[in-house]
Amino acid sequence: MDHGEKRLMDKNQETLFVRLIPFFERYGILLLILIMIAVLHLLQPDVFLSWRNVTNIFKQVSWQSMLALGVFMVIVTAGIDLSVGSIIMLSLMGLAIASKAGMPWYVVMLVAPAIGFLCGMFNGIGITLLRMPHPFIMTLGTLYIFRGIGNLISGGVPITGFAEQIRVIGNGKIKLDAFFGEGAREYIPTSLILMIVIFFIFWVFLNHTRIGKWIYAIGGNPGAARAAGINVDRILIVVYTLCGFLAGIGGLILAGRTNSAYPNAGLQSELDAIAAVIIGGASFFGGRGTVLGVFAGVMIMGILRNGLNLMNVSVFWQQVLIGSIIILAVYIDVLRRQLATRT
Amino acid sequence: MKFFISIITTTLLFSGSLLAGSHAKTIMLSTKGPGAGNPFWASVEAGAKDAAEEFGVNLIILSPPQESDVMAQVAQIEDQIAKGVDGIAIAPTDPNAVAPILDDAMASGVPVVYIDTNGINEGVTFIGTNNINGAALAAQYICDNVPSGSDVAILQGMITQTTGQHRAEGSSKGLKACGMNVVAELPANWDTAQGMSVTEDIITGNPNLKAIFASNDNMGLGAIQALKNADMLDDVVVVGFDANPDAAASVMAGEMSATIAQFSYNMGYMGVENALKLANGESIPDNIDTGTVLVTKENAADFM
Repeated sequence: MDHGEKRLMDKNQETLFVRLIPFFERYGILLLILIMIAVLHLLQPDVFLSWRNVTNIFKQVSWQSMLALGVFMVIVTAGIDLSVGSIIMLSLMGLAIASKAGMPWYVVMLVAPAIGFLCGMFNGIGITLLRMPHPFIMTLGTLYIFRGIGNLISGGVPITGFAEQIRVIGNGKIKLDAFFGEGAREYIPTSLILMIVIFFIFWVFLNHTRIGKWIYAIGGNPGAARAAGINVDRILIVVYTLCGFLAGIGGLILAGRTNSAYPNAGLQSELDAIAAVIIGGASFFGGRGTVLGVFAGVMIMGILRNGLNLMNVSVFWQQVLIGSIIILAVYIDVLRRQLATRT
Repeated sequence: MKFFISIITTTLLFSGSLLAGSHAKTIMLSTKGPGAGNPFWASVEAGAKDAAEEFGVNLIILSPPQESDVMAQVAQIEDQIAKGVDGIAIAPTDPNAVAPILDDAMASGVPVVYIDTNGINEGVTFIGTNNINGAALAAQYICDNVPSGSDVAILQGMITQTTGQHRAEGSSKGLKACGMNVVAELPANWDTAQGMSVTEDIITGNPNLKAIFASNDNMGLGAIQALKNADMLDDVVVVGFDANPDAAASVMAGEMSATIAQFSYNMGYMGVENALKLANGESIPDNIDTGTVLVTKENAADFM
């Protein structure tokens, strides 16, 4: 075989590889989920794919997925929001106090997202108006402030017992008697439906609206975005407000799941949210990442925890594994980008 | 006819042997933190393991990474119910927040007992220390060793938890009953560093302090550190609670005067034993006291 022939072959292989890259970029993460599901199904054949367990996974990730989606938008703008765990707690406490005060359930339900909305707006205004050098600092401050306020208004004690209507979001069950016959135990959790609807809305928002495209533009190149006439500060306030709003929805889900507003709610869950976003392929430098990726990141963490729980693996190993997956996921991303630039 | 009878008897025999022999019950022990790195939970786990061996139980031990991670405990219980456990012995990280999942468990026929910390679900047996009695025992020790009318202080635990409330209540009542002047009752949230800084504040304002009851040993060890720095340790009696190995060593060294031992081993042992009884359809009392004992120099070596 002479040199020309060899080069031709290399080129053919290369083009096949290059053609596969966008496929992996888009669906590689879903492949990882499929592999995890297959492995866990083999290890726990009777349990893992049972209806009850699958609904458990969705219930367990539902509230965290709201935090992850919000933090994702913030990360797309090359920012960070450390306060979401505290926002979830403050909105939960606000909801509990409104409920205890005897407000009607439809008002109580609005309280949590409304508090989240205001907290997020506070973050956004602080970052832009006070010209904080980095969102890290503003939201680190509000991480303490919001949890402190939550403890102040509740006295630091748990508040328990909400109306059934309020709990529907986090604890509701849509019976499937029509498919499985009368009295069937199979059901779909309301929180799963809510999660799908919200992820879809935000997918449309980020991909098919002008503001959504601006959000990506700001993260990709803020200077160019400003030059193009985008009001960067206003968009940032919108992004942080929406992030807070989603954390408030997370608080509403948690209220349903636990029937209790408790002082440790959402403690350190901002880190889980950031981890899910990073595993899902978003770039910490902004401008890159997809809503589908966030969903995948959330599911990977949820499936991993669930699988390890089923196999009675100590939580210490869970921590080690989740940390390793974060590093591995990003490293694979680095390799992929290196290959992409070389060709 | 004979044929039918033989079929029925074989079926009965077969199912009987299945129930008695091969189908051991599976009990889940859910503590507030892994036994590795925490002697208290380690001894709960040891008790549970011994009970599991004695009664032929499949034991599953799962705990959240730390006490504050309430949703991790909820998820672990949820997952184990899906897998099909026969009973749960749980130390609830947050009694209110874990209540719905425990109700779910009982609704699907999985009996529950609380260990260590009482919960809020109705009709669930609590197996643990009577903390009011334990704290009263500590107060009695202070009353016996410090002149009546002296200035004394109480370091409270997390006052949002029943354990914290009960120890605060038992000690406060006991000290006031014997005529002590309780100058401070402040929370230090079970934490050594906070125990130290709260004690520093207390002794600044009350230089004649004669005794401190710390609602757990960690805060007590923090208090000792603060007293040492202020050269006051010789004048102040410090009584802790839990008798963890560090505290026992401190009692042996003559720094901490006394501590109260909970029988954490009993919690694990009796937790598994009673969850199994419920799983077998037996009934158990609503409250099972695992007991407390005063630990001083005489018996501290047993707890190291």
